[in-house]
Amino acid sequence: MIEIDALIKRYGPTTALDRFTARIEPGEVFGLVGPNGSGKTTLIKVLATLIRPDAGRASIAGHDVVAEARQVRALVGYVPDVPGVYQDMRVEEFLEFFADAFRLRGPRRRAAVEGALERAGLARRRGDFVEQLSMGLKQRLVLAKSLLHAPRVALLDEPGTGLDPLARIELRELLKSLARDGVAVLISSHILTDLEDICDRVALIAAGANVPDAEGHAILVLRGGSEAAQSCQIDVLGDAEAAAGVAAQFPDARLLSRQGQRLVVGIPGGPEQAAALLRHMVGAGVTVARFDPRGPDLGHRFKQAFGGGAA
Amino acid sequence: MNPMIRKELRQRMRERRAWILPSLYLLVLGGAVTFAYFTSFERSGFREVQGAEVGTTVFVVAAFAQLAILLLITPVFSAGAVTIEKEQRTLAGLLTSLLTTPEIWWGKFVAALLFQVLLLVSAVPVLALAFAFGGVGWRELGIATLTTLVVVVSFSAVGLACSAYFRRTIHATAVTYAVLGALTALTAIASLLLTGRGDRPVLAPLYLNPFFTMMVGLFDDGRWRVTGAWPSVVQWGISLGAFLALAAAAAIAAIAFLRQGGEQV
Repeated sequence: MIEIDALIKRYGPTTALDRFTARIEPGEVFGLVGPNGSGKTTLIKVLATLIRPDAGRASIAGHDVVAEARQVRALVGYVPDVPGVYQDMRVEEFLEFFADAFRLRGPRRRAAVEGALERAGLARRRGDFVEQLSMGLKQRLVLAKSLLHAPRVALLDEPGTGLDPLARIELRELLKSLARDGVAVLISSHILTDLEDICDRVALIAAGANVPDAEGHAILVLRGGSEAAQSCQIDVLGDAEAAAGVAAQFPDARLLSRQGQRLVVGIPGGPEQAAALLRHMVGAGVTVARFDPRGPDLGHRFKQAFGGGAA
Repeated sequence: MNPMIRKELRQRMRERRAWILPSLYLLVLGGAVTFAYFTSFERSGFREVQGAEVGTTVFVVAAFAQLAILLLITPVFSAGAVTIEKEQRTLAGLLTSLLTTPEIWWGKFVAALLFQVLLLVSAVPVLALAFAFGGVGWRELGIATLTTLVVVVSFSAVGLACSAYFRRTIHATAVTYAVLGALTALTAIASLLLTGRGDRPVLAPLYLNPFFTMMVGLFDDGRWRVTGAWPSVVQWGISLGAFLALAAAAAIAAIAFLRQGGEQV
């Protein structure tokens, strides 16, 4: 659905995107993680047809984002990092304007606006001026606006910023339901726990380039990934070195890292193999305090990849 | 109807200046006409003046005053039209919708212009007051109105081009006023310098001077034209053509700047 191939974007001497590459499938929630100024917003703007890359190629459903920008816009719903609204318009007028801007007509237009009002939880406030809404409601309005034309791709740049916990939970549920409907979702966020909850895969990005994690993966598979291999995070009590030796005896297992009492072990196969590894270790007398077949959490991987920098 | 036009008009009519500005405009114009009426009597030393003399004085003062006021107002409506979208972070929403950049430009342009056309139309009765005294006909009224309209169209397009180029309203407005000032004052100075001590005045720079355009529309060699006669087609036509060319160039530039507007959002 989204193909990003060696994109380069420069602003004077600064390289905002440096051969960044990724591929996002329909129905997938794909996260972008990186420090401030790493190129996340630039990448999303290129995909939203707002800025042109200097080199490389990006396409959405086979349409080039530069040469076929109009076709791309028909397929994309874009939520910018700072969502802009017309304060002096009523909520319903705001949605109607964008429905017109996306060429929705007649009953389809009416249905899209009503659906957006419901989705944003603003049906009762349709007659209010936008300036009367709270920050969270304005963000919900912008998100609902970006989905008016039933896009096949959703591009969201820091959508959780400024939302209260309940609104963030609702946002996550909405993104999951979009993915279930086959929409490809690309989301950048600094809230790693949110990304961990909703993303199928995550790309690490710094200085505009793909950054591999400590295990050498450029794209981190969080769920629904290949059954061919996985890494397990194991917290042990007692002699961690001995535990590492026990883990290494498991067929085809590889000790990826060891920090204090925490081991990360790579094994071939899926959940069955992970269960077998756990049995093997417990059977060998290792006291396992915590066993996570999903491997290290995103925060841990982020720290490893970016040298402990803030997320 | 272009959704941009509907949106812009709705927003403009909700602004307080939507009713304050026309009221102030008519007040100032009415004041200028009243002033012209009394000074035309005073100049004559309160001798018996011809009605036509009063009519032409009132009309000329009203036509030039209207042009000056609208020139001052034009940047207010045009120079902020696109920058406001950048400042309130709504331009990205427009540029990622299915609206084309010419459609966005046209919506902004029509909205900026319609309000000034409203002012122009509301002033027609004030200008037509001169009819009561004679010396002025429908043709003069048409020439003055058309000249003002073309000049306002042109400066609105310039204001929109500045608005599409700059990020901030204050910068776009300042540059639009600078262009306006340059075309009003510098063209006159350039004409004076180029003419020097020569016998024949060099008028070329003045073709982009709004007040010169109005003058050649209403006068022949500095004298009031016989009522009903057409103005010098060469000078007035060239001048109107120059303003329309400026408007076209500004429109092309504005659309090009809007296409690159994604870099500014």
